Amino acid sequence: MADSEISAFKNAVNATAKNTKTLTTDFTQSKHMDFLSKDIETSGKMNFKAPNMLQWQYVKPYQYSIIFKNNKIFINDAGKKNNIDKGNSKMFDKLNKLIVGSVNGNMFDENEFTISYFKTKDFNITKLLPKDAALKKYVKQMELYFDKTGNTVSQVKMIEPSNDYTKIIFKNKVINAKIDDSVFNN
Amino acid sequence: MQKLMIRFSITSILLLVFASCAVKTFKDFDKTEVTSEIYKSPYFSDKKEDYVYKASISVYGNNFGGIFIVKKTNETTHRAVFTTEFGNTLFDFEISGNDFKVNHIIDELNRKILINTLKRDFMLLLKEDFQVSEQFENESFKVYKSPDGKRYNYLFENKKDGKLSKLVHATKSKEKIIIEYLSENNTLADKIVIQHKNIKLTIELNKIIN
Repeated sequence: MADSEISAFKNAVNATAKNTKTLTTDFTQSKHMDFLSKDIETSGKMNFKAPNMLQWQYVKPYQYSIIFKNNKIFINDAGKKNNIDKGNSKMFDKLNKLIVGSVNGNMFDENEFTISYFKTKDFNITKLLPKDAALKKYVKQMELYFDKTGNTVSQVKMIEPSNDYTKIIFKNKVINAKIDDSVFNN
Repeated sequence: MQKLMIRFSITSILLLVFASCAVKTFKDFDKTEVTSEIYKSPYFSDKKEDYVYKASISVYGNNFGGIFIVKKTNETTHRAVFTTEFGNTLFDFEISGNDFKVNHIIDELNRKILINTLKRDFMLLLKEDFQVSEQFENESFKVYKSPDGKRYNYLFENKKDGKLSKLVHATKSKEKIIIEYLSENNTLADKIVIQHKNIKLTIELNKIIN
């Protein structure tokens, strides 16, 4: 992308993110590991409410949900509930930002990432390389695919230092529908 | 008479000591002839299969989960990988006979005591050939006893369907680790529970149909 395209794209995404009060979407996740014959496929639903409530719920092939709310993480593993207080954990904070950012596109933090921009016919793509040494051990590169029509994230690829990756595709996105706060209770 | 009494008491004390020392694993089982020198565990032996499990780990009252993946990469080697639900790799081990290699482990889990615990668990879980030294049975099970260094493994085969349903790893006197298997078809374990007797650690694995 040319510099002018990059700034137009960033403005469009930031404007959309600003106006996104809620976001509901289905997702399919595939985990690729070189030594496996098949990718591991999981799917579910995601609910986001600005500024920072997020529920990530796997439905198939198992029931598992994780809620990020008020600096805490609530997990429901097929009925077994667990809370994690992030407290001062920098790592959790970064992971939380990474996940929320992947959903609303608010990831253009030049202090955290070295960012490059690309475009295809259907997508604007940002590639983010973490600068933080701790985060680098988990994530080699994040790729966010924004569909050109809505300027929202429609695909995320997280590449690990080993080059294995997780790809998440969002489908049936609904923006600013009413989401009850109780969705974010464990 | 007194001598006889003393001898009798010593014998009973010794008997008591031995009885309480003996591992309870195959109490009430009858010793039988050894029918085969090698017992083969069937559950992680197919190179074509991706063995993918949803894992729930409970350690001293804390629960956490993830995805446990096993692949037999060649005749003697298994890869055992644990990831979060999001797909971040937490550890990646390679096990080949008695060789154990850590390909990757995140800093937060990189503790010798933890790695050694997991190493023993996965070596037991993925071991295919067990040398049989003694054999026992009761109404429901055949039990194959297999030496493992200074310890022993006891493999419980269900008489009804011939399935491996339990593995007990024990010293001469104490059970240390119990692995229980639930299997529909005898080649694939649908559910596995690894229970530790000396630490409060239980790992439950449920097969994901991928």
